[in-house]
Amino acid sequence: MTKQLVALRVNRRLHELAIESSWLLLDTLREQLQLTGSKRGCDDSSCGACTVLVDGIPMLACTLLAASCEGREITTIEGVTEHGALAAIQKAYGDWGGAQCGFCTPGFIMTVKHLLATTPKPSEEKIREALSSNLCRCTGYSQMYEAIKAAVEAEQKGLAGDEKNAPSRT
Amino acid sequence: MTVKPFQLLCPRELSDALATLEKHSGNIRVLAGGTDLLPSMRQRLFEPEYVLDIRQLREIQGIRLTEQGIEIGAFTTLHAIENSDELKRSYPLLVEAAKTVASPVIRNMATIGGNVCLDTRCLWYNQSLSWRKSCGFCIKKDGNICHVAPGGTKCWAAFSADTPPALLCLQAEIEIRNASSSRRVTLEKFYTGEGDNYRRLQPDELVTHIFLPRGSALYGGAYRKLRIRGSIDYPLAAVAVALKRKNGDFEDLRIAITAVNPAPLLVAGVQSLVNRAMTRERMAEEIAELAARTAKPLTTSALTPEYRREIIRVFTKRAVLEAAAD
Repeated sequence: MTKQLVALRVNRRLHELAIESSWLLLDTLREQLQLTGSKRGCDDSSCGACTVLVDGIPMLACTLLAASCEGREITTIEGVTEHGALAAIQKAYGDWGGAQCGFCTPGFIMTVKHLLATTPKPSEEKIREALSSNLCRCTGYSQMYEAIKAAVEAEQKGLAGDEKNAPSRT
Repeated sequence: MTVKPFQLLCPRELSDALATLEKHSGNIRVLAGGTDLLPSMRQRLFEPEYVLDIRQLREIQGIRLTEQGIEIGAFTTLHAIENSDELKRSYPLLVEAAKTVASPVIRNMATIGGNVCLDTRCLWYNQSLSWRKSCGFCIKKDGNICHVAPGGTKCWAAFSADTPPALLCLQAEIEIRNASSSRRVTLEKFYTGEGDNYRRLQPDELVTHIFLPRGSALYGGAYRKLRIRGSIDYPLAAVAVALKRKNGDFEDLRIAITAVNPAPLLVAGVQSLVNRAMTRERMAEEIAELAARTAKPLTTSALTPEYRREIIRVFTKRAVLEAAAD
C-alpha cells in the first residue's frame, strides 16, 4: 500500500509525515516521531496507557488512525510541561508517589490534565470517575488521589512547583 | 498487532459517503468512533480494502429537538449524549445507559450509531488470528463450527451494547440510508437474533439518525449492568426499565435486556402483569421471572450462563422497584 503525506500537529509543532492509512496514531507517535511517552499497554483499548489529548479531549492513541487526526491538535505527555518546567500535576505525581512502575503514568496524566482543565476544583467523586478510564497495575490509586488534590491546591494558591507544598520526606 | 493495510476515505458530504459505500460495497467498513472496529481489525476479524471515516459528516452529528421528539445524529459521541440537558430532562434512561458504556475516555470517541451497530461478542470470536486459528475457526468468522453450542449451526455471539436496551424501551427508530433511498425502522426490527448476521443492514447502507418519539419522553427508568470491573468492560448481562406512572399506578412499563442473547430484546408480556391485585414486590418478582426466561445466555463470556440469567432476574426486580420508587 502506498504511503501518503499527512500533516500532524503534535505538541504545537507541525510534522509532515509519509504514513500508511492503516497506521495507528500510537505507532506513528512512537515510531515516526520518537515520542515514546505514550505507552502501548493492552493493545485492545481497555487500559488507557496510550491516552493523548486530541483537540483537548482525551482519547486512546491505540484506537485512532493517524490519518484521521490530520488538522487536529494532538498533545502527548511530552507536551505537558509548561515553559520547560514540570506542570503542577507532574510535580505532584512525583511528590506524592503517584507513579510506581510508571508505565501507566503518561496516560493518567493526560486524563487528569483534561479533568483539571474542565473542572478546576473536582470533587472526590469527579476524580474517581475521571480515573476510571485508566488502569494502574501497581494499584497505586490512593497516591494519585493525593497527588491530584495537591495539584488542585497548588494551582489555586499559585504555588505550582513550590517545594513547601510537597509532603515531608522524613 | 498491526492492522492490515487499507485505503482510508474521508468524505465531507453524506452523499459522497453513500456513493463510496455503494461503489465499494462488501469490501468497505464504516469507521465512526473506531472503538469497536479498530480493535477488531487488529485481531483480523475484518480485513476490508477500504475504510470509510465518517468523522467529517456534519449532517449526522448532534442532538436536535423536533416536533416528533428528538433526533440524534448517528455520529454523536456518547459523551455528548450523557451531557445533553435535553436528553437528561426528557429521556433520562438513555443518559443513564450511555454513562455505563466503557470508560469516560472511550465515550469521548464512541458514537451512538456505533453502539447501536456494535458487533456481537463471544469468547471464541474476539481473539487474535493466531488464537482463533489454533482453537479452530468458528461460524462467525472463517469456520463452520461453534465452540459454544457444539454441533449447532447457529451463532450465539452475544449482543453487548448498553444503549440499545434503553432505546428499545423508548421505542426508538433509526434512519438507514443508501445512495438512492432512505428507510426508517423500529430498533426492534433492526436486529435479527442471529449472532453472525446480527443486524438488517445492507453493505451499501449507513445508519444515519436515531429518533426518540415524544410519546416516550419523561418516562422514568433504571439501567442495571453486570460487568467484572466497574469501568471499561462490556456488559455481561444488563436490563433497562422504562416506566410511566399515572396517579401512583403504573400506566406503562417496558423492559429490555442485553448481553444475554444475540440481540437486545424487549421482554414480552410485562404490561399484563402490572396493576394486578398483588404487592409491588410480588409484581416485580413475576416480571423478573419473565425477563429471566427471555434471557438465553450461553458460554460466550467470562461468567457462567446460569449466573448471568440469575442476575437478569435479580437486576430486573431491583430496577423495577427502583423505577417505581422514583
